[in-house]
Amino acid sequence: MTTKDTQTQPPFIFRDGAVQAVLDLRVYRLAAIQKSAYRFAERCTAVLGSPDADRIPVRFAFPPAITEQDALETVRLFFQELLDQELREQVGDETRALRALIVAQAFSRTDLIRQD
Amino acid sequence: MFHDRARYQSSRGYQLAPLRFSRLDDARYIATNDVGEYVVMPREELVEFISHSLPANRPTYKALKSRHFLFDEHSRVALELLALKYRTRAEQLANFTGLHIFVVTLRCDHSCAYCQVSRQAEGRLEFDMSQEHADRALDFMFRGPSPTLKVEFQGGEPLLHFERIRYIVERAKALNQVHGRDLQFVIASNLSRLTTEVLDFCREHGVLLSTSLDGPEDLHNAQRPVRGGDSHQRTLDAIRRARQALGPDAISALMTTTQASLGRVEDIIDEYVRQGFHSIFLRNLSPYGFAVRPRASRPYDVEAWVEFYKRGLAHILRINEQGYPLQEEFTAILMQKIFSPRGSNYVDLQSPAGLGIGALVYNYDGAVYASDEGRMLAEMGDFSFRLGHLSRDSYESIMTSETLLAHLSDTMPEGVPMCSDCAFLPCCGADPVFHQATLKDAVGHKAFSAFCKKQMSVLRHLIGLLEDDARARDILMGWR
Repeated sequence: MTTKDTQTQPPFIFRDGAVQAVLDLRVYRLAAIQKSAYRFAERCTAVLGSPDADRIPVRFAFPPAITEQDALETVRLFFQELLDQELREQVGDETRALRALIVAQAFSRTDLIRQD
Repeated sequence: MFHDRARYQSSRGYQLAPLRFSRLDDARYIATNDVGEYVVMPREELVEFISHSLPANRPTYKALKSRHFLFDEHSRVALELLALKYRTRAEQLANFTGLHIFVVTLRCDHSCAYCQVSRQAEGRLEFDMSQEHADRALDFMFRGPSPTLKVEFQGGEPLLHFERIRYIVERAKALNQVHGRDLQFVIASNLSRLTTEVLDFCREHGVLLSTSLDGPEDLHNAQRPVRGGDSHQRTLDAIRRARQALGPDAISALMTTTQASLGRVEDIIDEYVRQGFHSIFLRNLSPYGFAVRPRASRPYDVEAWVEFYKRGLAHILRINEQGYPLQEEFTAILMQKIFSPRGSNYVDLQSPAGLGIGALVYNYDGAVYASDEGRMLAEMGDFSFRLGHLSRDSYESIMTSETLLAHLSDTMPEGVPMCSDCAFLPCCGADPVFHQATLKDAVGHKAFSAFCKKQMSVLRHLIGLLEDDARARDILMGWR
């Protein structure tokens, strides 16, 4: 069974209650993929395969009662979430040290930043 | 360890400060930071901001800068301000355990289907708290560092064991001659035993009353059965007498939302207005005690309660616009969490959870629990939140017990999957007892959590009102 309109839907195939996809790790960090999978756990189980070079296979397994339309919509939303998670990873990378500094400053009697 | 300020400056125009973001609705995102500030913007601007390409003359840039989401070359004291606000929010942790709940009896004269504490028949005196346990509990209470101590009497129906209440209040006040704390007393009661003797005592010692009022007469009486079937009339009579004796603000009321309440939120709110109350707490049913017996009460899903809440809040805002001040308490707590520099002391929305450090519960049998819900869970056979016993354990052993410390360590949402990157984290908290009861895990996978769904839905609705409805914002800002 394939998508009805490949012009407007991503070209994913819903078969045997699941959708297969391959993600490019140069585009999406593994942490972002894992966090998206965790967040979508109520809607589907995203089974991550072994990475091969820059690619990682993902199998979205759905509950038995789901329709093809709902499954494909869930996959679309998963990819939207993945973009958000990727942004969060960027923010985390840039602000991690600063967050630690602020917390240290908040709970310390010492001024950790040289004022000159 | 010491570095020049320049080390923390970005070469890309501005430096991002720590932040979290989440989708607010179909068009907008909300970004928040650890000190409770927030900014709403479309996704395109969020991407520009994170990519360091947001122009400095854009209103969103100015909002992000003034609320500490970015630092640029003009942000001289931003780091210090953030650290100071962060410390202010966390300060209350040092003054732990302000609430002490004394369950003076499990006996009750009502047989409410949604009862969360598995009440006992009126004649069963073995379910009363002993004086020895009361003395030990008072000793525990004064061992904590909190300058403010609230003593709440719970049951069952606590007025069925009024002599123990009298003893605890008088003894606490005597002990406080030495300790010098700010002491408050509240009796949570259905008021069916509110005698002149009780009222005189409350007036003499400044004891406040909290009661249950579930809505109009038919709904209240159906949900709160009592011999004679006139719980509503008895409650209203008692409220009137309490106000006459103690003053108009000495008594508050709480409601519980059942399946039968869901379609009647306006009726319930109107009843509160009719009875002269200026606050109402739209509380959902908790999954503890008798409330989860299959035949006792019909459960409903969180989406149904959220709709109930939204309709109720809209009705309350209309009533305020008509000139009658009425506050919804859950919303008010969230408003404090969002806007107050100190957040809110509400025990159920803390990080770490308010277990033990927010409240201690002394059960009728001497058992000590980390929260009121924890003792309710114990009535169902799950003792995960039982910290020890007044007869066998010391204050130190209970407050440093592995049970308590492990729960506190596990219930900091800052380190919990999904919570750690959720924009609503600063306005939220952990509810480990709820998750233990519903997901059999005190942390709980938030993708399956009704608590998370409730919080996200309510906070999205509230932020939407603050952003899009000027009249609603004016009223809500008065609830902070």
